[in-house]
Amino acid sequence: MAAGWQGQSERGSPWALRLILWIALHIGRGAARVLLYPITFYFLLNGRTARNASRDYLTRIFGRAPTLAERIRHIHCFAATILDRVYFLSGQFDRFDVRLHGVEVIQARAGTGALLLSAHVGSFDALRALGVEQRGLPIKVLMFPDHNGFITALLHTLNPALLETIIPLGGIDTLLRVQEAVTQGEMVGMLGDRVAAGGKTVSCDFLGAPAPFPVGPAQLAAVLRVPVILVFGLYRGGNRYDLYFETFDAVLPQGRREREAALGQWTQAYAARLEHHVRIAPYNWFNFYDFWPQD
Amino acid sequence: MSELTPLELEVGHLIVDTLNLEDVSAADIEADAPLFREGLGLDSIDALELALAISRHYGFQLRSDDENNARIFSSLRALAAHIAGHRVK
Repeated sequence: MAAGWQGQSERGSPWALRLILWIALHIGRGAARVLLYPITFYFLLNGRTARNASRDYLTRIFGRAPTLAERIRHIHCFAATILDRVYFLSGQFDRFDVRLHGVEVIQARAGTGALLLSAHVGSFDALRALGVEQRGLPIKVLMFPDHNGFITALLHTLNPALLETIIPLGGIDTLLRVQEAVTQGEMVGMLGDRVAAGGKTVSCDFLGAPAPFPVGPAQLAAVLRVPVILVFGLYRGGNRYDLYFETFDAVLPQGRREREAALGQWTQAYAARLEHHVRIAPYNWFNFYDFWPQD
Repeated sequence: MSELTPLELEVGHLIVDTLNLEDVSAADIEADAPLFREGLGLDSIDALELALAISRHYGFQLRSDDENNARIFSSLRALAAHIAGHRVK
């Protein structure tokens, strides 16, 4: 666990990122996408942790060793979604064919408060930008403040309004802010698949082997007693994204002791839905660290 | 061991009951020891539950935009002092 995702340093140098951002904004998505290939090869050659994690994941989901083409496609898919964050965050929606599945689930909750539970798959920014675009769907996001610090900071210069929707994790009053937001009828998004250093975890079956998942989302859902909606934004190649919304009705008992015992089951139900979606879109899995650590 | 005031003891009971702390009794809490991370070792979900219990019990909201939160939650003594200054019941 020691070398979890927080141990990874951010890859890529600031000038290269600025260059790609400039090309993306001033020349266009087509030109910037050509650059994704050298970037992908750079990652495959130099990013040992990411490369190994990708191969391990692909082996588990395919049930066999991945081909080189599949490994390239996985990294390329990741790079493509990062590039598209530029366009989502700068509000250029029309570029994309975004298909909404089950959007009535979230519309029914507009103004009454809910937790949106997602994962590091595909693109969460597609949803965040949608929330800002369609008024009446205010979405805040719980995030680790220093994760991907440079990329996130650079991208948010495109849309400072979105920066204000981030609730940074780690403060004493972080969850109080979440509580106030949902009480005011806002939706608060969080990614339920990564464990913070020292965070409490529960072991869940995921792609056929046990992996540690954080219990924070389950605890928060239990304390706030607001509806939980699962959201997955999957990239399907070209300019297409599919956003899936699902009601999540795993139940948590009220008493604290009973609740603690039920956290594992709740989290397993989430892990099962996550597995369902990555099986449909396997190249959308973006946890490039040892997700199944052997103790 | 430092002496707890009656309100500190009462808030200590609220902490122990709300968070189901086993092996800890209110009278054993050090008034000036940190509540979170070190000391009692509470985390952010505990902070939220405690804040909600305080608002039910004492009738006022602890707010996330209070810049004194780090100080308010720093120890039982600080928390009790804040409650004494803001309680409406």
